Amino acid sequence: MKLQFDDATLAFRDEFLAWLEKNRPAAEEMETDPAVSSAHAPDWARRWARRMFDAGWLVPGWAPELGGRNAGAVETLVYLEALTEAGVPRTTNPQGLGIISPSILDYGRPDQVEEFAMPVLRGELTACLGMSEPDAGSDLANLKTAAVRDGDEWVLNGQKVWTSGAAYADFCFLFCRTDPDARKHRGISIILVPMDTPGLEVKPLKEIVHPDTPDLAEVFLDDVRVPIENLVGEENDGWRMANGSLAHERSMVWLDSVLAIERSMAGLLDHAKAWMPALTPAERALAADDVVRLYIETKALRALGYRGFARFVKGGNAPEQALMKAYSSETSRDLARIASEWNGTDALHTTSGRSNRRRAIGGIEGYFNTFGSTISAGSSEIQRNIIAERVLGLPRE
Amino acid sequence: MDLELSDEQAELRDNFRSVLEDCCSPALVRAAYEESDDGDSLWRQQVELGWPSLAVPETAGGLGYGFVETALLAEELGRAAAPATLLATTSQLTPALVEADDDEALARVATGSLRGTLALSEKGRFDLDSVATTARRQGERWTVTGTKDGVLAGATADLFAVAARDPETGFVGLFAIEQTDAKVERRPGLDPALLLADVVFTSSPARLLIAPDADAEARIARITEPATVALALHMVGACRNIFEQTLAYAKIRKQYDRVIGSFQALKHRFADMYLEVERATALCYFAAVSIAEDDPERGEVAHLAKAAAGDCQRLLAEDGLQLHGGLGFTWEQDLHFWLKRAKAGEVLCGTSAWHRTALARRLGLASEGDA
Ligand SMILES: Cc1cc2nc3c(=O)[nH]c(=O)nc-3n(C[C@H](O)[C@H](O)[C@H](O)COP(=O)(O)OP(=O)(O)OC[C@H]3O[C@@H](n4cnc5c(N)ncnc54)[C@H](O)[C@@H]3O)c2cc1C
Repeated sequence: MKLQFDDATLAFRDEFLAWLEKNRPAAEEMETDPAVSSAHAPDWARRWARRMFDAGWLVPGWAPELGGRNAGAVETLVYLEALTEAGVPRTTNPQGLGIISPSILDYGRPDQVEEFAMPVLRGELTACLGMSEPDAGSDLANLKTAAVRDGDEWVLNGQKVWTSGAAYADFCFLFCRTDPDARKHRGISIILVPMDTPGLEVKPLKEIVHPDTPDLAEVFLDDVRVPIENLVGEENDGWRMANGSLAHERSMVWLDSVLAIERSMAGLLDHAKAWMPALTPAERALAADDVVRLYIETKALRALGYRGFARFVKGGNAPEQALMKAYSSETSRDLARIASEWNGTDALHTTSGRSNRRRAIGGIEGYFNTFGSTISAGSSEIQRNIIAERVLGLPRE
Repeated sequence: MDLELSDEQAELRDNFRSVLEDCCSPALVRAAYEESDDGDSLWRQQVELGWPSLAVPETAGGLGYGFVETALLAEELGRAAAPATLLATTSQLTPALVEADDDEALARVATGSLRGTLALSEKGRFDLDSVATTARRQGERWTVTGTKDGVLAGATADLFAVAARDPETGFVGLFAIEQTDAKVERRPGLDPALLLADVVFTSSPARLLIAPDADAEARIARITEPATVALALHMVGACRNIFEQTLAYAKIRKQYDRVIGSFQALKHRFADMYLEVERATALCYFAAVSIAEDDPERGEVAHLAKAAAGDCQRLLAEDGLQLHGGLGFTWEQDLHFWLKRAKAGEVLCGTSAWHRTALARRLGLASEGDA
């Protein structure tokens, strides 16, 4: 156990910071042309992705030809921390960079890598993830969207829902049923579907807050035809790949949440100092304790994340990951709630725009927004099932 | 930041654990509960193993380990619900003697001929402001008068490190007082293996450890911080044991023709218990390294650790008992040794509420009048 990184890691960090200083996108361009969706890449974001890719700073753990520099896990960790501290987003299309490209690299053919994965990495294309359906949420394997072979094409019919970024994405990494007779988990495949294919319709879904800038959408597929080569990996092997693609970067996803919560915590502390003086001493004691409890959670999250990470680096498995997903999303929810509860009528204010909503603290609106994380990517309840069954070895119901 | 044990640390922890499984079985703890056994035979074995010398500097004849190793020992002692003499000697007396550079006493600790503890709390309050015990100076000699309550392992201590106030200057200092110069009233109570005692000093001759001056508060914090973190990890060790016992039970106890651990209502509670234990462990390890490396934030992190241990004991004692059903309610089932150890830890070295209040002050969230 030790508190500090070793000198080589710190030197790596310094090298990145020096590069970042010269190459980072300017605050003004990020401000004037913000990303309005999780698959929207404004010009500055495209150029930024390209610069990172060319310099080997996009995914440091990968080979140079994939935008990396063969860095180790600890180096990747300090890189992510440095980027967040600098207030620069790594990407405006997190699912494209974090899940979809890596999955294509893992399971796709070289021509799919060239046509789909590399352009996402270089900031030329964005992608969305088509998993959930009206009757397939937590129980993803229940999905019904069908792909039927017709000559050298797949014909797709069905509906996706909650597809983040669908209105802006160039293509969808789409899960569909290719064998209706097989058992639930056995008949699923993954097909790459360009969003401009005839028969595909995107209907934005206004969210609980910020109806002006919806990110979620429904995707309707009505005899959508794509080439047979767009199948990723083996036919009917989609379930196995799903588990693989969702595991991508899982060893690091916790860090993004922790860093985000730490920023919110710093904001809450500032905020608290502003509204504390107006409270009576008795109220102040209650408010202080609310804030202190969150401060403890914030510190605990990092400590827990680092512990799991150290195990992961040593090659062990890190059961903390499922724990971290539930714990971090619930902590950011609690933080937003407490911030709003002590914020008087200011808590009722709303903000506009996607980039503002992340920064806003103290609004009930922001509190509702945090439920995106406790519901998506395996809800808190599902994470608890996973912990109980896979980590603690309790029997399935 | 790397909060995973090194291979050597993990090996040491495994060694503590396996030795304690042998020499500190639940039967031994039961003897402390039922036959007023102070764990003297256990102490002798621990001395043979060299455990009291672990944190004693090499210059004083000890093994010179850092605080992480002391903390791991405290964790395993909690896992065993062990009689508290070794916990108090290694995590309370030793840091006091180290801070005071008292090599002579440390050498006696290393050989196992000196057992002792910190006597700070009065009326259950773990802060220097509440210290009413006085230390009076006559020439080069000090005498101490006052009462300390709930002193950990006070019943077996040969030496007390006593916090007392110099009425002349108003500062609190730390003084070494022999057991023979004090009146020790045992308080067996809830967890007899904690060997708690109230200790009364009446003009007791005292040796100066830390002078009552402007630096004393900061120096005493360097003793209370490790004491607090060790106790926090001790509680977490007890909680982890409760967790493991309860989980094992849920895998074999059948009702409605299925094991109770297959009910989702319980599964989710197990997931939450697991989180509490891991969360508290992570913060306690963070605190242990912060102290071992003498990080400037060590004081804050000690508060975090004890507050988290408090949350942990609250959930684990509650669900651990509840999920054992009627069995958890019995004296014969050993489970209550750990339930009681975990709960008792909450009120020693400052409650969670006390540590959270201290954090609020450090974070600038309390104004002066709000003390
Ligand atoms: C902000 C956001 C972004 C999203 N982005 C995407 C995306 O890009 N692509 C995509 O495919 N999907 C996306 N989703 C969908 C998301 O993955 C699903 O919402 C999620 O899987 C839950 O499914 P559901 O909404 O159908 O709820 P349900 O599965 O119907 O769950 C309803 C409630 O029941 C609980 N529940 C369900 N099963 C169990 C069980 N076995 N045990 C205990 N409790 C259970 C759930 O926890 C939840 O509380 C997104 C969702 C949100 C909120």
